[in-house]
Amino acid sequence: MEHPTPVDQPVQNPLTLVMTAKSPESYEALRQIVAHVQSLPPDQNPIVVALDKIATVHFARFVFLGDQRLAVITTYDGDFDAYINEFINEIGDVFNSLLQHMQDASPLPVQTYREEFLQFVRDHDLRCEPPFYSAYPDRTVLDITATAASVG
Amino acid sequence: MDLADVQGLIVKGYAMPVVRHVGLRVDDGPAARRFLGALVDPAAGVPQLTTAAPWEVKPEVCTNVGLTAAGLHALGVADTSLDSFPAEFREGAVTRAATVGDVGPSAPDSWLPWLRDGVHILVSLSGQHQQAVEDATAELAALWQQGYTECGRADGCALPDYLAHFGYRDGFSQPTIDGLPPAGLPDSLPRPPVGAFLLGHPSQHPGFTYPVPAPPDLGHNGSFAAFRVLAQDVDSFAELLTTQADRTGLSEEMLAAKLCGRWRNGTPLVLSPTTDGPDPPVAPEAMNDFDYVGAHADERGLRCPVGSHVRRMFPRGSRIAGGGGHLHRIVRRGMTYGPPYDPTRPRDGHERGLLGMFIGVSIRDQFEFLMRDWVNDGRFAPGLGRSKDPLLGAQEDGQGRFTIPATAGDVVLDGFSRFVTTRGGAYCFLPSTTALRHLAALSAPAQQPA
Repeated sequence: MEHPTPVDQPVQNPLTLVMTAKSPESYEALRQIVAHVQSLPPDQNPIVVALDKIATVHFARFVFLGDQRLAVITTYDGDFDAYINEFINEIGDVFNSLLQHMQDASPLPVQTYREEFLQFVRDHDLRCEPPFYSAYPDRTVLDITATAASVG
Repeated sequence: MDLADVQGLIVKGYAMPVVRHVGLRVDDGPAARRFLGALVDPAAGVPQLTTAAPWEVKPEVCTNVGLTAAGLHALGVADTSLDSFPAEFREGAVTRAATVGDVGPSAPDSWLPWLRDGVHILVSLSGQHQQAVEDATAELAALWQQGYTECGRADGCALPDYLAHFGYRDGFSQPTIDGLPPAGLPDSLPRPPVGAFLLGHPSQHPGFTYPVPAPPDLGHNGSFAAFRVLAQDVDSFAELLTTQADRTGLSEEMLAAKLCGRWRNGTPLVLSPTTDGPDPPVAPEAMNDFDYVGAHADERGLRCPVGSHVRRMFPRGSRIAGGGGHLHRIVRRGMTYGPPYDPTRPRDGHERGLLGMFIGVSIRDQFEFLMRDWVNDGRFAPGLGRSKDPLLGAQEDGQGRFTIPATAGDVVLDGFSRFVTTRGGAYCFLPSTTALRHLAALSAPAQQPA
């Protein structure tokens, strides 16, 4: 099997967004919000619907880290800034429901205060220790799902 | 919506065959500001700014003006006000060149000197005939000379039948702005709101209005334009068609259609994939009324290749990164320059191309986004890799690659180079009538350009 041609950087990027709840009560409220969203069937789940449409997120997960911290960890294609408007358009309400409980949150709603939300993400995104390993550095969500569709 | 406050070219195409763009630099602040005020003062005796107010009689000439960030500074706009303009506008076209693929032969050090060195003001004239433009130039110059030095100009005029140099009929796809009369062909596509093209109104992104530069009198009802002088290598394009027709067995017209996404007569491939003369013909009002999903679903690009020019520039409902195929529309005001190309007299040594104004409320989210993400990359769509727009892209020599999907097996064209070279550009703010009066009334001393 041929190894793929090395590229400078994979098309995929890591988001490691770590946010701190305002209080233990807020942390508990976040647990309830996340549990509720995660329990919804896919076609009624605002995260699934949004991410399917955005078509740049390979994987996404919530992780409660303790110490009142919630992490949103994803692998996504391309430049976060370039698609921030589409991202906010589709999934902004989910972030509104989370950010209302967070310390140092950007002003809400995120749909109105977009530059501020982008700065919040930059400030709280731990990304990774480079380089970010990818087994398929040039394959986007769009490439992979198109292939999957064509082979049925 | 006070249409008389808004510059006309933002909301309508003038459909005039002659254009002239004049670059000016400020010499004398007070006189420079007086000139701007004269454009919106009928008593001043110079051609007036053309606004978006409806015409009773179509004028002989239209006059519009754009101001760069350096120009605003030279006119005496306060730093606190300048700082409220978008970052990419303040940086300007020269600084942002690499973002939009203006590298190699398109890099600013190779630009026409007047654009490389930066303009302050761009005066744009459109006319029904050459003499009208000459007369308006003379009248305006008599006044602008008191405050400005002309640093260069670009003249364009329509080719027979308004064809573009690569042989395509152009101009079918312009956004119909919600609440305004249709500027191009009507269609049933989602209509961008006024705020996608004018500052101070809700934008195409729900819940969001782009920040209005301060003070409101200056920023409100303004817009932004990327002015571009784009040279076209018609010889190489013609050779591509001939060589690839021989190699693939596809006709030159079919190849031209697949590269563009429309046949050269403008018929969209999605509506008529095998002929530019379908029976019945595509009605004029249907020429832009289509999508790549729904009735003419073309997910794989078997009708209209996913990487073709028009599908990259406006993916519509196609499945793309972000899902925002309707969110990055621009208004395009373009005119050919240079003599018509004669295939019997190739390599005539004449430069020819397009003078363009690419207009939107955000240079970053519209013009720059299109160039960086949809023209000079392919990863926004399935299966394009890092390929670039075949007509417009900044291909390195011999690195061009274009796939024509086909059920019998994809046809790949490769080995071509860029066909369009940027000869210069400028990021302009298109002020409202109110803004021009505001600028005329500034009493700041003239500042030297930074």
